[in-house]
Amino acid sequence: MSVFSESIVTKINGYLGRYETKRSSILPILHELQDEYGWIKPEHLKGLSEEFGLPEVQVNEVATFYSMYRLEEPKKYRVLFCDNIVCHMMGADSAMAKIRHMIEDFEKKTGKPSPVSLQGVPCLGVCDGAPAMLVNKDRFLKVTEHNVQEIVSRYLDEASA
Amino acid sequence: MTQQQATETLTFSLNNNEVTVPKGWTVMQAAAREGIKIPHFCWHPGLSIAGVCRFCMVKVEGRPKLEIACNLIATPGMQVTTETEEVKAAHKWALEFHLINHPLDCPICDQAGECSLQDYYMSVGKYKSEMTLKKVLKPKALDVGGDLVLDTERCILCSRCVRFEKEVTKTGALGIFDRGDRAIISIYDDKKISHNYTTNLVDICPVGAFTSKDFRFRKRVWFLKDIDTTCPGCSTGCQVKLYSKPEERRYYRIKPRFSETNGHWMCDEGRHLYAHMNPEKRQRTAFTPKQDNERGSKEQRVRADIRDALAFLKLKMAKYAPSDIALLVSSQLTNEEYKKTFAYFVTFLGVKKVFAWRDSAENIEAFDGLLNRGDKNPNTKGHAASLEAVGLPPVVSKSGFADAMASGAKFFIAIAPENTQGFVSSFDDQLKQLSAAGDVALFTSQAEHAKNPAFDLVVPLKCFGEKSGTFLNAQNMESKLAEKPFFPLNDQVKDLVEITALLQEN
Amino acid sequence: MGNTTDKVKILTAFEGIANSRALATYQNHGGYEALKKALTMAPGDLIEIVKNSGIRGRGGAGFPAGLKWSFVPKAEGQKFLVCNNDEGEPGTFKDRYICELSPHMLIEGMAIAAYAIGAQKAYIYTRCEFYEEIAWLETAIKEAYSAGFLGKNIFGTAFSLEMDHYSGSGAYICGEETGLLSSLEGKKGQPKLKPPFPAVSGYLGKPTVVNNTETLASVPWIINNGADAYRAIGTEKAAGTKLFCISGPVQRPGVYELPLGYSFEKLLYEDAGGMLPGHTLKACIPGGASAPVLLPDELKGLTLDYESIAAKGSMLGSGAVMIIDTNTSMVRLMEIIANFFHHESCGQCTPCREGTGWIANIMHEIVSGHAKEEDVDRLAVIAKNMGGKTICALSDAAAMPTMAIVQKFGDELKAYIRKGKAS
Repeated sequence: MSVFSESIVTKINGYLGRYETKRSSILPILHELQDEYGWIKPEHLKGLSEEFGLPEVQVNEVATFYSMYRLEEPKKYRVLFCDNIVCHMMGADSAMAKIRHMIEDFEKKTGKPSPVSLQGVPCLGVCDGAPAMLVNKDRFLKVTEHNVQEIVSRYLDEASA
Repeated sequence: MTQQQATETLTFSLNNNEVTVPKGWTVMQAAAREGIKIPHFCWHPGLSIAGVCRFCMVKVEGRPKLEIACNLIATPGMQVTTETEEVKAAHKWALEFHLINHPLDCPICDQAGECSLQDYYMSVGKYKSEMTLKKVLKPKALDVGGDLVLDTERCILCSRCVRFEKEVTKTGALGIFDRGDRAIISIYDDKKISHNYTTNLVDICPVGAFTSKDFRFRKRVWFLKDIDTTCPGCSTGCQVKLYSKPEERRYYRIKPRFSETNGHWMCDEGRHLYAHMNPEKRQRTAFTPKQDNERGSKEQRVRADIRDALAFLKLKMAKYAPSDIALLVSSQLTNEEYKKTFAYFVTFLGVKKVFAWRDSAENIEAFDGLLNRGDKNPNTKGHAASLEAVGLPPVVSKSGFADAMASGAKFFIAIAPENTQGFVSSFDDQLKQLSAAGDVALFTSQAEHAKNPAFDLVVPLKCFGEKSGTFLNAQNMESKLAEKPFFPLNDQVKDLVEITALLQEN
Repeated sequence: MGNTTDKVKILTAFEGIANSRALATYQNHGGYEALKKALTMAPGDLIEIVKNSGIRGRGGAGFPAGLKWSFVPKAEGQKFLVCNNDEGEPGTFKDRYICELSPHMLIEGMAIAAYAIGAQKAYIYTRCEFYEEIAWLETAIKEAYSAGFLGKNIFGTAFSLEMDHYSGSGAYICGEETGLLSSLEGKKGQPKLKPPFPAVSGYLGKPTVVNNTETLASVPWIINNGADAYRAIGTEKAAGTKLFCISGPVQRPGVYELPLGYSFEKLLYEDAGGMLPGHTLKACIPGGASAPVLLPDELKGLTLDYESIAAKGSMLGSGAVMIIDTNTSMVRLMEIIANFFHHESCGQCTPCREGTGWIANIMHEIVSGHAKEEDVDRLAVIAKNMGGKTICALSDAAAMPTMAIVQKFGDELKAYIRKGKAS
C-alpha cells in the first residue's frame, strides 16, 4: 500500500517524467506533498525512496536545506513575517509583537492551542509594500501594528467560533 | 589515458622552481609530487574536487585574488607561490574559521596525534583565537554503522566522507543535512552504512569526526610504531601500514597506503587482520610428544624448544618413506618461504605428495569490484609458481585437503594458514580430521589450531607482521612484506625460511 | 552614445495598460514581433546585437550579457537557458514587477536568447514565495505554447523550444547562478566550483546561460529597436534602462524604470517624492543588502550606474535602493543583515559558513548588551578575512556591508555597547 493518495501518486509520476533527470523532481514533489498534507512527514521520505526510488539521503538533503519546507506538523495558518531591513524600518517589529500578543491572548482565553503561528522570514520581495507578510499563500502588504489585528483575528476567530 | 596524452606536459613555476607536469594537472597535484606542502582539508587524491575548505590558497602572479590550489589547473608559464605573507594570512584565517566551532576536545579524541587540525595549528596557525563566544552544539558519538562512530561537532564539513560514499562505494549513505553552520553530516534516520569499506572514512576524515569502533580509546597514536607491509587478507594484496606497540608485542590497527594495487583504500575485513598476531592468540612454543623420562606431565605432549621439536621432526621423518609423507601447505607463505620449504621437503627429501591447504568452499573468482577477493590467500600465485619450480603440478586453485587425506600418506606435515577469518568452510573441521588422520606435525602461528592435545608435534610460526618476503597477487604484481618487520613474539616463533635452515643444520 | 538620461519605457511599457499580462494585450502592442524578426537572423548576429547594445546583467553582478552568451560553445548539442527569477536580494522587487506587468515580455526575450545560444530547453526559476507571480508565469507559458511561440517549429522555422517553470523553496543562495543550477538539478542550492563556468558546463553539465529576468525582458526591445538605440540610453559604460526599487520611509516607494546614470537625488526627491514627513535621511544602501551603506554626503551628486556607485565604494547591485532614516538604529540594522547572511549561507565553504555565524553571534552579543567595544573592530577583521575566499560571492556579500557599517557607524555601535554596560 502506498503512503500517498492516488491523486498524489499521479502527480509524483508526472514530476518524475517531467525534467531531464528524475532527481530534478525532488523539489516540486516536496512542494506537492506539503500542499496536500500540510507538511513533509518522515513516512513520505520513506515512501519516495521505496515506491519511487528517490533516495532518502538525497531527498532529506533537499528537505532540510530549503527553509520553506515544513518538516514538523504546522499550524493551520502560518504567518511568515518579513523581518528584513526595509520591513524592520517600516514597523515589522511592532506588528510582529502584536501578532505574538494576539496568539498568547487567544491561547489564554480559549485554553486551545492557537491555529496561527508566527515566524520571521527573509525579504519577501515586496519592499514597496513593507511591512509585508504571508499567511499561508496569501500576501499582505503594509501590515502595521495598527491594522494587523484586523487581519490576524480573522484566522483566530475562525478557530474560536 | 592514451600514451600520447600521457606524454603531453607543460612547465610552470612553483615557488620559483620550474616544474613540469602532465597537462591537466592541478597545482595541488604538482605540489604534492614536489613535496611542497599546501595545507588542505577537503582535497583528497582519491576523490573528486570539492573546493570547499578554502584552505589551500596560493598566489598566482597577475591574478587579483588568491586561488585554491586544488582546483587550479596548471598552465604554461603560470607563476605560483605558496608562501607569501598574503597566503600565510589566508591559511591562518582559514584554519581559524575551521576551529571556531570545533570542540577542541583533543584530550579525549582518538584522532589526537594524527589530526590535520592539530598539525596545521602547529604549521600555519599558532595564533590566539579571536573567538570568544559559545560554539554551535551538534550530536555526538553516533553509531552510523560499520566500524564507525560519528561526532558531528568535531566535523569540519569537508565532505570527504560524503564523496567517498558517493564515488567509491557508490552507496550514498551519507548526506549533509540542513545548511550554514547548522549543517550536519549524517546517515538518514537509521539507514546505517553497511559495506566492507567503512574504516576508510576514518582514514580520510581529517579530524576526529569519524573514529573506529575497533580502535576507539585503545591507544594514543604516538605510542604506536608502524611498518609498511602487505595485507595478507586476500589475493589483492593491498599495501598497508601495520601499527604496533612493539614493547607490548601487540598490534592495534592496519591502514592502507597508496599503491597502484589498492589506490588509497582497503576493506574492513583486512583491517582486522592484526588481532590474530597478538600474544593471547599465538602459539608461543613448540610441542613434542611426552617422553618416558618426562613423568611429571599429565599431557601427552610437552612444551619444547623449537630446535628440539625440529630435531624430533627429522627423526620422525626418517622413519617414513618419502612416499608416506604428505605436505599440506597454505597459500599464505611468502615466495621465499615456499622456495626454501619445497627445496627442503620436495627436492632434498623427495616428498612428492604436496597439497594446497585452503578453504575448501572458497570462490576464488569472487571479486567485489573494488578490492576484496574471494581468494582469502595473499600468495596463491606465488604458491603455484613455487610448486612449478620444483616440478610439481602448480595446482593450488582448490583445496587439496581431501586429496591429502585420501592420498594414503601416513605422516602429515601441515603448514596452517595464519588467517582463516575469511574462510567459508569450517577450518576447525579440517583440523579435527587431521588430528584423527595419523601422525601430524602441525606448523601454526595460532594457539587455537594447536589446542587439540592430539597434535603432539607443533611448530610455532611467525605471522606476517614479523616476516619479510614477497607475495604475488591475483594480478601477478609482486608485493613486499616489511623489510624491517616488527620484533617477533619471542625467540621460538620462526618463519619457514628460518625453520628450513634449522632443519638443514647438522 | 549613452547620452540620454531621459526616461524611456522599455520594461515598464505596459504600466497603466489594462489586462497587461494577457497574450492578446501583449500582441496588440507588438508582442512577439521581435522573436519573429530574430528567427530570420543568424544566432551569431543576435549575439552581436546584444553585445553591441551594451546591456549588462541586471541581477547584480553587471556582467555583459552578450559576452556571456558568446561563451557558449557553438557546437551542436544539448544546451539550456535559465531565467534567474529567484529575486531574493533584500530590498529588490523588480523582477516580480515584470511578472506582474508583462510576463510575455520575459518569455519572448527568453525565446530569442535560447535561439541565439542554441538552447532547446528553457527554465524560469522563481522563488516559491511569489505564489501569484508563478501562476501568472505558468499561464503565460501555456498561452505562448498554444499560440505557437513556444514548442515545435516556432514561426514555421526549424527552431523549437520547450519552456518550463521551476519553483525554489526558500534559499537566497539559489539567486547565485550555479546555486540555482544545483537547485534545478534537484539538489541543495549550493554553488558549483568554477571553473568550469556554466556556459561550458552548467545544468546537468551541459552548456547553460543563466540570465536575470530583467536582462531577458529587455531583449525584445533591443531586437526591435537595435543595439544603437539601446546604447543611446544611459551612460557610456552602462547602457539602457534599469529598474530601481526604492523602499524605506519615502513618500512613493516602488519600481522606477530609469536610464542608468540617473541622479540619485532625483529618484529620491522627485520620483519617490522624498522622505516621509518627520523622517530624515541617515544613509542609503544602494544595491541590495550586500551593498555597502552610503552616507548622505556620499549620496550627494551620486548617479545611478555601476561605475559611479563603485567609485563611492558600494555597488549598483540589483538596483535595490533602501533609504535609511535617522530613527533607525544601525546596531539593529547590522544585526538584521548579519542574521540574514547567517541564515542564508549554504554552509559549503568554511569561511562563509563559520564567518556569517560568528558575525551574527557578535551582533547578538552587542544587541543584548554583552559585548565589548573591541568586538566592533573584531567584526571588521572577521569580515575582511571572509572576503574573496569562497566559491561564490555570498561571503563577500556578508562581509562588505559589515565592513562598511563598522567603518561608517562604528561609533554608534560602540556607543550602544557603552550605554548597555552603563545601564
